Amino acid sequence: MVKIKNSLIVILIITAILMLVVYITGGGELVIKGLNISMNTAIRTLPMLFVSFIVIGQIQVLLSKEVLDQWVQKFSGIKGIIVSAIAGGLFPGGPYVYYPFISSFVEKELPFYIFISFIFGKHVYDFTRIPMEASLVEPKIALIRNLITIPIPIIIGMLAKRFYDKNTMDISFIRAGGKNGSNDNNP
Amino acid sequence: MALTTIILSIVALLLIYANIKITGRQYEGLKGGMKQMVYMLPIILAAFILSGMIEVVIPEEFVKEWLSKEAGLRGILLGSFGGMLLAMGPYAFFPIAASILTSGAGLGTIISIITGWCLLSLSKMPFETAFFGMRFFIRKTILSIPFSLAAGLIAHVLEVIFM
Repeated sequence: MVKIKNSLIVILIITAILMLVVYITGGGELVIKGLNISMNTAIRTLPMLFVSFIVIGQIQVLLSKEVLDQWVQKFSGIKGIIVSAIAGGLFPGGPYVYYPFISSFVEKELPFYIFISFIFGKHVYDFTRIPMEASLVEPKIALIRNLITIPIPIIIGMLAKRFYDKNTMDISFIRAGGKNGSNDNNP
Repeated sequence: MALTTIILSIVALLLIYANIKITGRQYEGLKGGMKQMVYMLPIILAAFILSGMIEVVIPEEFVKEWLSKEAGLRGILLGSFGGMLLAMGPYAFFPIAASILTSGAGLGTIISIITGWCLLSLSKMPFETAFFGMRFFIRKTILSIPFSLAAGLIAHVLEVIFM
């Protein structure tokens, strides 16, 4: 909640500054034009946003942390990379939830490539973000962006497997950025 | 837009049905989603105002030279860098990206902005440095840069060929 409040304050400050810039460059008329655009966008997208939040809420209860945790631990190799990238994309919640979850991979001694696929899966796929992307930007753009970026977590996971195949989630290894870890066996 | 709402509504209904059959927690999901919407609405509305201002303030020449289809690689580079600097959540980021698109940005630029934001956004820095260290964050960011640029480049090529 505190983070949301801070984000709102930051956005409001930037908006106020930009509004001043608009006023200086184009006068009150341009400010009103900008506000009209904002209002039209809001009216156009609010019904979609409402439905988007229903989708987000349903995904969050359908796919619990426990279910995804099981998926990640079940597979290895290329299958593991794909499954953990998808699990990352399906993982519900913001950074306050998923970073502590990823950290728990340390105790489970999961391979480093599973960790990296999961983290990039979350960044690139994040399925709960797609309704937002489609409704706020444009469905066509959301589709193209998602299609183009599908291979990214898998390629990165494969690179991690190629170079750090035997490394588990050792925190000293990760903190060293892949060097001098206790179980480092790089060629 | 109406079609998107219809598709999203069908997805929502399917998910509710899946929850009825699998978890029985469909009401919890509805409540959670609505709660999230109420929390996020002030940010979304503020981002709408911000995006409206961006749309009217970006000079046409700047769009033409730096963001449009004609800008090519320049737009892709600027897009990835811009996405990295837009250190904010999706509810604030997407309206801003939409306003840049409406201003006349090319497909390559907009895809690299979104991909840059997904992969490189500085909003991840506090978490990743706290949990995994600064070195990890820097290496991950450096590794991500070519992917963000490549996504923009692919989109640009698609735009040149098909649009």
